[in-house]
Amino acid sequence: MPEVLADALKSNRRERRGSLLVYLMVDSSRRSDVRPLVRACREAGATGIELGFPFSDPIADGPVLQAAASRALAHGTGWQDLLEGLRQVSRELPVAVMTYANPPFHHGLPEACKDIAQAGGSALIVPDLALEESGPWRVAARRAGLALVQMGSPATSRARVRALSAASSGFLYLVSRFGTTGRGRRAPGNELRSLVTASHQARPELPVLIGFGVRTVADLALIRATGADGVIVGSAVEEVLSHSAHSDHLYRFLRPLARGLGSTAAG
Amino acid sequence: MPRRFGAYGGAYVPETLVPALQELEAAWRTSRRDLRFRAELSRWSHTLGGRPTPLYFAENLTRRGRGAEIWFKREDLLHGGAHKFNNALGQGLLARRMGKRRLIAETGAGQHGVATAMIGAALGLPTEVYMGSRDMERQAPNVQRMRLLGTEVHPVTSGSQTLKDAINEALRDWITNVRTTHYVLGSAVGPHPFPSMVCDFQSVIGRELRDQSRAQWGELPDLAVACVGGGSNAIGTFHPLLRTPVRLLGVEAGGRGPGVGASSLVHGSPGILHGAFSYVLQDAEGQVSDTESISAGLDYAGVGPEHAMLRDSGRVRYISVRDDQALSAFHWVAEDEGILPALEPAHALYAAVRAAARLSRRKRVVVTLSGRGDKDLEVVLRHDARSAR
Repeated sequence: MPEVLADALKSNRRERRGSLLVYLMVDSSRRSDVRPLVRACREAGATGIELGFPFSDPIADGPVLQAAASRALAHGTGWQDLLEGLRQVSRELPVAVMTYANPPFHHGLPEACKDIAQAGGSALIVPDLALEESGPWRVAARRAGLALVQMGSPATSRARVRALSAASSGFLYLVSRFGTTGRGRRAPGNELRSLVTASHQARPELPVLIGFGVRTVADLALIRATGADGVIVGSAVEEVLSHSAHSDHLYRFLRPLARGLGSTAAG
Repeated sequence: MPRRFGAYGGAYVPETLVPALQELEAAWRTSRRDLRFRAELSRWSHTLGGRPTPLYFAENLTRRGRGAEIWFKREDLLHGGAHKFNNALGQGLLARRMGKRRLIAETGAGQHGVATAMIGAALGLPTEVYMGSRDMERQAPNVQRMRLLGTEVHPVTSGSQTLKDAINEALRDWITNVRTTHYVLGSAVGPHPFPSMVCDFQSVIGRELRDQSRAQWGELPDLAVACVGGGSNAIGTFHPLLRTPVRLLGVEAGGRGPGVGASSLVHGSPGILHGAFSYVLQDAEGQVSDTESISAGLDYAGVGPEHAMLRDSGRVRYISVRDDQALSAFHWVAEDEGILPALEPAHALYAAVRAAARLSRRKRVVVTLSGRGDKDLEVVLRHDARSAR
């Protein structure tokens, strides 16, 4: 279902509504809780889910998601849990899969992409896949009907953002700052704004979502000021869930964010 | 400067690091051709580092082997006590040229951390080192040395608390501080251009070895042996010999055996770790395995991508040597030659003695003695006490 996520993001963009992607990590011990959690995301107004697959060496992640990945791996979380999670989640909301390069590479790129697409995934996000190495991945994703999302960062030049936008499908994931996921100081709004503008000029129809360190309604003001099409919330969600995996808590955390973005509750 | 070694190598990194790696590659391309940079590098190598290091005939150890002559390339005599100085100096000078104001490094055995700490002090660049907390325990003298040299040592408590996790944490620091900081990666691993650049800086070992052996015997050795963790002393030894008839033997850590230990070339499979496509010890799901070896410097689940290519092509043969075998070699060399080798090259020394025993007395084996063993005394004594019981 490759178009599901892209369509949802694009229609929000047309209607000038901000999009909200919520990051959830696959964890075999949480399997039975996934459906209610995702329903809470949908009811709160989330546009889609970024389903994270844990990796032993997550170099782009800060302490919260590192800990979540170690826990998930200690619970024996594997590829089949990802696919099962995808089947559950995709019944409620469009899903992008976030995984470091090695697990899908180890499964074989064509097989991994096909697995994800067949289980209901719309897109693939690979934080350690630089544009220069992405050629074979783009081919495999396209053949399976998956979008391959490229990432930009404040270190990226405007010229490079144009190249990343040209290569990206689904959306462009713009990292908000120098650093890993979780808490930290964001890059100045005007720097991000110039990157968002460059991307929109290169690919007017491609949504740009900002992630890393987004956690409060106050964060949204700045992000909307950059002209981005939405946000991805990850570590903050994981912190909420580590206190209580009850879906009501998640709903109460997400609802103000979704409202702040002008998302309307779907379904 | 190749980005790929056959299929291996590349730069699998978060976007934030891509511009920094491109900047580093450009700086290194210019500097390696720049006569002033090369003169500077060679002056520091000599006056601070003590290069060239000697080629030493291990006569007593040769008698033990009852075969080919065994010679040591004495990188243990280099400043700081290991070959790591060659690379830390080169990258430190390059970082200064690039206007970077801070150095970071990872370290396993602590030798690369000590080398970077020395260079940071000499060049006036504040230095911070990431080290697995398990390694900090077993290589405590090196932690103290780094601190005395003015370097801040950060314990890394994630994962297996060894080299792999220290690299993760150094990469995270670099992603955060990339504009002001140079990451002095300590082995021929990681994203392009590190494997090529580290090979360039370490190839001084093989070039000297080549020239010294020609000067001493009028010809090259028959076999060159080096230990392989990430593989920097090995690639430095092998690279200048690749287009010669010299046989090349890389020795990985087998741990307690008969499991995989830390032998990624012998027991691993192709995968992506720390920015490079190479051989990796991993499980059926593509999760990187925890490793185990008596030597912290070889205790790593990955390996440099050029070694991956040389393994596949068969130009270099890679074998695995167990903890107990490395410990035997440690004692042989201590008692026969009066040299305490580090546990890392002790693996290569064991393989060299075994290989020499199978060769005629007219042949010559050179083994790169990549570091001295003062840091390992506690580990060795503890093992000796245990086996005496």
